[in-house]
Amino acid sequence: MGVDWNSFFEGFMTALSFQNLLFIFLGGLLGTIVGMLPGLGPATAVAVLIPITFGMDSTSALILLGAIYYGAMYGGSRSSILLNTPGDGSAIAATFDGYPMTRKGQAGQALTLATLASLIGGTVAIAGFVFLANPLASFALQFGPAEYFFLLIFTLSAVVSLSKGNMIKGFVSMLLGLIVTTIGVDSQSGVYRFTFGNPHLSEGIDFLVVIIGVYAVGEVLYNILVIKDENQQMKEDVGNSWITKEQWSRSFWPMIRQAPIGFLVGILPGAGGSIASMISYTTEQQVSKKGEEFGKGAPEGLASPESSNNAASVGAFIPLLTMGIPGSGTTAVILGALIMLGLQPGPMLFQNQPEVAWTFINSLFIGNIVLVIINILLIGLLVRILKTPPQILYPIILVLAFIGTYTLGYSIIDFFILMIFGVIGLLMKILNIPVAPLILAVIIGNMMEQNFRMAFVSHDGFLQMLTASPISILFAVLTVASVFLPALFSRLSKGRTES
Amino acid sequence: MKKYFKVFPILMLSVVLVLSACGNSSGEANYPDENVELIAPATPGGGWDATARALQNVLDEEGFVEQNINVENQPGGGGEVGWQYLSDQNSHSLSVNSSLILTNNLLGQSDLTYEDFTPIATLATEWISTAVPSDSDIEDGIDMLDRLKEDPKSLTIAVGPALGNNDHLSFVRVADEYGVDVSELEFMIYESGGDVLTALMGGHADVATMSISESLEQHQSGDIEILATTADEPIEGAEDIPTWQELGVDFTFPHWRGIMGPPDMTEEEVAYWDETFSQMVETEAWQTVLENNGWQDYYMNSEESREFLEEQNQMYEDLVETAGLTD
Amino acid sequence: MSIRYIIPSVTLLISVIYLILTFNLPESNVGNPTAAMNYPLLIGFALLGMSIIYLFSEFKNRKEPFKAFEVFKDKQLTTHVIVVLLLSLAYTFLFERIGFLFSTLLFLTGLLFLINGRRKWLTNIIVAVLFSVLSWYAFSELLSVSLP
Repeated sequence: MGVDWNSFFEGFMTALSFQNLLFIFLGGLLGTIVGMLPGLGPATAVAVLIPITFGMDSTSALILLGAIYYGAMYGGSRSSILLNTPGDGSAIAATFDGYPMTRKGQAGQALTLATLASLIGGTVAIAGFVFLANPLASFALQFGPAEYFFLLIFTLSAVVSLSKGNMIKGFVSMLLGLIVTTIGVDSQSGVYRFTFGNPHLSEGIDFLVVIIGVYAVGEVLYNILVIKDENQQMKEDVGNSWITKEQWSRSFWPMIRQAPIGFLVGILPGAGGSIASMISYTTEQQVSKKGEEFGKGAPEGLASPESSNNAASVGAFIPLLTMGIPGSGTTAVILGALIMLGLQPGPMLFQNQPEVAWTFINSLFIGNIVLVIINILLIGLLVRILKTPPQILYPIILVLAFIGTYTLGYSIIDFFILMIFGVIGLLMKILNIPVAPLILAVIIGNMMEQNFRMAFVSHDGFLQMLTASPISILFAVLTVASVFLPALFSRLSKGRTES
Repeated sequence: MKKYFKVFPILMLSVVLVLSACGNSSGEANYPDENVELIAPATPGGGWDATARALQNVLDEEGFVEQNINVENQPGGGGEVGWQYLSDQNSHSLSVNSSLILTNNLLGQSDLTYEDFTPIATLATEWISTAVPSDSDIEDGIDMLDRLKEDPKSLTIAVGPALGNNDHLSFVRVADEYGVDVSELEFMIYESGGDVLTALMGGHADVATMSISESLEQHQSGDIEILATTADEPIEGAEDIPTWQELGVDFTFPHWRGIMGPPDMTEEEVAYWDETFSQMVETEAWQTVLENNGWQDYYMNSEESREFLEEQNQMYEDLVETAGLTD
Repeated sequence: MSIRYIIPSVTLLISVIYLILTFNLPESNVGNPTAAMNYPLLIGFALLGMSIIYLFSEFKNRKEPFKAFEVFKDKQLTTHVIVVLLLSLAYTFLFERIGFLFSTLLFLTGLLFLINGRRKWLTNIIVAVLFSVLSWYAFSELLSVSLP
C-alpha cells in the first residue's frame, strides 16, 4: 500500500477529535476493567461490549472496539501481577516474574513497568505496521501447516526447557496438557474423542477454563491452606509506583528487542499473544546475564513478555486490515462486529476507505498513550486490592472465577472442569511441578495436532514436511537447540567449576 | 468497610449505563404476552449470534413486537445445547437455526430433528463458492472436476471449521454429481473460514470451499480466484463468476438460516410470527442487515419452511452417506 | 510405599486409562481409518514413559526428605479446603436451579463464614450481599450476559 501520508495525517486528526478521544478513553477504561476479571480476556471483552457500538458511525465504532481490545490487553496483566491469576492466555507470562515482584513488595513498580513495556511494545509495533504492513502480510502467508507445526513445537519445547533441572516434571505437565486438548471432536476425521456422549464436551475444553482453574482456583485453595494468622495481611508494603533506575536500565533493551519478535508472531494468523509472550520470555532468559533471577522477580522477565504481547496484539490487525483475515479469536469478533456495521476490512479497505483504516491505526497509537495514563492512575486504586484482607479477597476471587467460567460456555459442566483443574493447580503448586507447560499445551495442543496432520497429508511424510521450507528447518533446529542447549551449557559450566 | 468496595472494578462499568438504553413497553393481553426469548445456540460474536442480534434489532426498532426481545446465548455441540433447551420452553422462546438442525441428527450427533420443533420462517441464505489461488493452473470449475475425476487425491481441498458442514457437503455434492469418487477426496479441515482463506492465499491448499461473503472481496482484489458458486443465479456485483448450473453441473446449494419455535405452538401463535416476519423482511433495516452480511433474501413462511425442511432433510441424508460420514 | 510415589503413580494410571480409551476410539470413515487415533497414542505412550522415568527419579531421591505434602498437616485448614470444594459443588448444583443471584449469595456467604470466621458476621453479610447484587447487575444488565 505504501504509506499514504495524506490519509495518515488526516486519520491522525480524526482520531484526535474530541468525540473519538472520548471513545478511546472510554473503551480503554472498560477494556482494562473487563480484562482484569478472570476469564474475560480481550475476545470476550470485545464480544460482550459490541452492543454499545450499535448505532455509532463505523470509524468511531472501530476506534472504540480497538480501544476495548487494547485496554483488555493492558488489564489482563494486572491480575497476573497482583494475584497470580491471569485473565487470558497472553497474560500468563506476566505471572512468572510479575507476581514474585508483588511478593517482594514491588507491586506498584511491577504495574508501572508492565504498563511502560506495553507502551514500548505497542509503539514499536505500530511503527512496524505503518511501514511494513504489506510485505509482512505476505510473509505471514508463507506459513502453511508444516511451518505452523514447527513453530508450535518450538514454543512448547522452549517453555518446557524453562523448568530447569526439572525437565521430567515439565514434560509430564506438558503431556497432561496435550491429553486435555484431544478431548472433543477431531476436526480432520470427525471422530468424537473422549467426549462420553456429552454435547458440551464435543467442542473440547476451553483453555480459559483450565487457566482460571489452575491459576485462580488453585491459588485460592493454596492460600486457604497457608493462611495462618487471622489478621495477617498478604503484603503490607505494596511499594511505590516509581520504578528504579536499575529496573529501567535492566528492562529497556529487552523491551525494545522483544517488541519485533512479538509483532512478527502476532501477524501469523492463529499464533497471537500467548505464543509471543512465551517465546519472548524464554529467549530473554537465555540471552540474559541474570537468567538465574528469572522467575524470582526479575524486572526484565516481566517487561519482555509484556512488550511482546502488546506488539503481537497490534500485529494481529495486519492480516485483518490488509487481507480481511482475522488472525485471532479477538480479531474475528471485531471482524464480525465491523461487518454488522457495514464495514468490510480487507484488501479493498485501504483503497476504498483509507481514512477509516488510517484513523484506526492512529487511534491505536493514541490509545496506547491514553492507556498508559489510565493505568498509571489506576495503580493506586489497584494496589488496594492487596490491602483487602485475604480472608475476604479469596472468596471473592473464587466467585469471580466461577462467574468468568460461566460466561465462557454458559454451561455448568465447565464448573466441574474448573474445580478439577483447581485441585490440579493446587497439587502442582505444592509439588513444585511447572504449570506453564500444561497451560501452553492446552492452548496450542489442538492446533499443533491438526497442523501436523494436515502437513503430513499434503507433504506425504515427515521428512518432506521438514524440508518443505527454510522456515520449517529453522524452527526445527531451534526446537532441538532449546531442549539440549540448556542441558549442555549447565554440563559445561559444571565441568568448568569442577576442573 | 467502604474502602473495600472501591476495588470492585465492575462498579466502574456503570459508565456503560450512559451508552446503553433499553426500551420498555407495556404488555398486551394477546400473544406474545411476555418477553420473547431469542436463542442463539452459539457464543456471542459468531454467525448465529449475529443473526439473532440483527433480528432483535430490527424487530425492536421497527416496533413489530410490543414485548422486549432478549437474545439468549446457549452455545455447545453445534447448536445441540441451545435446541435441547428450546425443546422444553414455552412459545415465547424461538431459536435461530440452519441446516445443522438436520445434519446433527443425520450424523448421529443429536436425537433432535426438525420434526421436534415448529418451523416459523426461513429468512436468508448465503451461497458457497469454490476458489483457487490466483496463480493456480486450474483453468475453471470443470477443469478442477476433471482432475479430481482422474485422481481424487491430486488436489488438497481446504474447508473450515468442521467436516459435515455446508461448505464441505456442497463440494461433495458437486464432485459427486460430476462422477468423482468422493470417498477418496483429501480435505484439510482448518479451524475457521479465515484460516481457510490464508491457506489458499499462501498456496498451502489447492482448492478451498467457503461462503461467498468470505471470499468475494479477495476475489475482486485478485488475491484468489472463485471458480464457481452454488447459487441459483449470478451473484449481484460479481456477475463474472459462473454458477455450477451455468457450468453444466445441475444443482444449487443454499446455506440458509431460519427461525423455529418449541414443539406444540398453536396456529394463532404461528400465524402471528408469519405476519410479523413477512412484514419484517420487507423493511429497509432488514435489507441493510442482509447487505452488510452478504446474505440473500430467502424468505419462506412457516408452511413453506416445513416443506423446505423435509426436502432438505432428504437431500442431506443422501449426501452425508455419499460423503462417507455415516456408518 | 512412600507418599513420594503417589503423583508419578497417578500420572502412570492416567496414561494407562488414556491409552485404553484411545484403543477403543471409533474408526474414521473419512480418509485414513486410524487417523484420529495416532496422535493420542503418541502422547499416551510418551506420558507412560515419562511417568516411569518420574517414578525412577523419585526412587533415586528416596533418601532425601519429601516435604511437599506437609502443607496438609494443619487439619483445620485442610478441612477448609475440602469444605470450599464441597461448597463449590453445591454452588454448581444450585446455580441453574435457584438462579445466579441467590446461589451466589449463599455460596459467598458460606465461603466468608468459613474463611473469614463467624465473628465478623456483619462484614461477611454486607460483602456477600453487595458483591452478589453488583456482579449480577454488572454482568446481566450492563454486559447483557445471560445468567440463570
